[in-house]
Amino acid sequence: MRPINISLRIDVSITPQTGSPRRLLAWGARRLVLWCVLALAAIFFAVPFVWLLLESTRTGQDSLVGHPLGFGSFHQILLNWQVLFSGFVGQTATWIANSALYSGAGVLIAVVLGIPAGYGLAAFEFIGRRPLLIATIIAMLIPTNALVLPLVLEAHTLKVLSSPLAVILPYGLFPFGVYIAYLYFDTPRIHRLLASARMDGCNEWQAFRAVALPLSTPVIGLVVVLDFIASWTNYFLPWAMYWAFDQTGRYPVTLGIAQQLMAGPTYGGYLLRDLQLHTSAPPSVEALLILVSCAPVIIVLVIAQRWIVSGRTQGVFM
Amino acid sequence: MLLATVGIWPAGYALNLALTSFGGAFTGFANFAKTYNQGFLIPAFEHVGEFMLIWLTALIVIVIGLSLVMHTLSRRVSAPFRLLFYIPAAFAGSASVLVWLFMLQPGMSPWDFVLQILGAHTLGDSLASGDLPIVYALIAFWTGAGGWILVIHGALTNIPADVLEAAALDGAGPWQTALRIKLPLIKKWIVYMLIVAFAGGTQLFAEPQLISQASQRLVDPLWSPNTLATYLAFQYDNFNYAAAIAIDLLVLALVCAGLLVFRTGLFKAD
Repeated sequence: MRPINISLRIDVSITPQTGSPRRLLAWGARRLVLWCVLALAAIFFAVPFVWLLLESTRTGQDSLVGHPLGFGSFHQILLNWQVLFSGFVGQTATWIANSALYSGAGVLIAVVLGIPAGYGLAAFEFIGRRPLLIATIIAMLIPTNALVLPLVLEAHTLKVLSSPLAVILPYGLFPFGVYIAYLYFDTPRIHRLLASARMDGCNEWQAFRAVALPLSTPVIGLVVVLDFIASWTNYFLPWAMYWAFDQTGRYPVTLGIAQQLMAGPTYGGYLLRDLQLHTSAPPSVEALLILVSCAPVIIVLVIAQRWIVSGRTQGVFM
Repeated sequence: MLLATVGIWPAGYALNLALTSFGGAFTGFANFAKTYNQGFLIPAFEHVGEFMLIWLTALIVIVIGLSLVMHTLSRRVSAPFRLLFYIPAAFAGSASVLVWLFMLQPGMSPWDFVLQILGAHTLGDSLASGDLPIVYALIAFWTGAGGWILVIHGALTNIPADVLEAAALDGAGPWQTALRIKLPLIKKWIVYMLIVAFAGGTQLFAEPQLISQASQRLVDPLWSPNTLATYLAFQYDNFNYAAAIAIDLLVLALVCAGLLVFRTGLFKAD
């Protein structure tokens, strides 16, 4: 049953303090400015997204002559879709499958290793626990890009460059999962439950398996959502592992999108001020590619917004 | 106990990586000195510095401003706005760069009138070297600001109602409440945002790499430390220089992480 939320927040700026006309006028003016600011921000954030939606309904001809925010037809989406998966823009289906494989496998590793690790940190006292925790927190606060070059250098020496493992293993490294599991398990409630489980004759494995694990579904959900988004949208790591070695069959969608920028004139004496955007396919197909490749993340963002906020405030960034 | 040792894995893994790349650079500390003397690295850091100045200012002014504005509305009214601001985060990575290349292409962009006012008639005009930090900050802001708005707005809603009520009874207007009551109370989160955004900003890669690629390398491919390092590694096979730059960046990131852990008190490690 959902708890009923009764908000008693008294907001000082929503209602005018007194009814005098001048006050009322000032209040109204403030409201107006406030809504203008919000509307401007909304336009800034929404226009590129709206453009993507509208563009994907248009033909290549529409994009050249029509208004940038014009609508084509619903039928054209289907045609653009066929072009998208025809091999014209590249191996679209393979890219999406790769993205799903890499982020899926990465998330699996993050959960399988991270949850027990966090549990271990919370449930046991041992030498080196605090340094280990601090190391975990620092590892999660380091931007993911900072580890890309060291990883490439390592993959280079280990000769695993251009194998799927080169990105799956780093995606599985999700210290935030360890930390959030630790926070979750290190509460009096869980400690009491574990103590009574041991009293009832559970060994450590059983205590984890039968008590801690079933209780940890919210944490697992959080790790799945956050690691999925971080992995799916990652660009630098797969770029460093696959792009430089032309492993086109291994590309996730983020690299597939990057590949759209390959075409264009390369003759000598070409000046920057003459530059126009060149993509492999018409803008409408590219717009559809962007929408299709980002759709899983958009869906997750909308559904799991609340979880993502709690993740961000605790140290995970996408 | 066995499970606990698994905890070492992620932490140890990261450490191991740092050490292996050091191994590459161990042939001499000279690699560090050389990267500085080559004359690429300082400009790269300067570029990122310019970008950061715009990006962090935008975060402070616009993100905090919008969060304060939304905090004066009820949660239900502001919720769709917060979601709208956050959706571009789904385009992080390469998608946002491609989207913004379309946004910066005169004739095709919905912002065409703005580009015309600014005197941009080709994509190249939009990407003139002086504009690059602004362009990258724009992309970073479009994808990243929404997430920070959620954090700052969340921090604001955690301010107890009686504090705001007391301020109102004492005669504080909305401006005073915002600047003197609300801002000091969420200072910790603002510092947190700035340090994290700074650490992330030093790692700028997708934007300069893709825009250089889209311009047939007419836009500097060595623009940021990360694009410089990958260029050295993959175009010149100089993995030692790349490792030296990677370590520079990693040290910066570690300093930021250390500040967050030991100075902000936001993380629990006991």
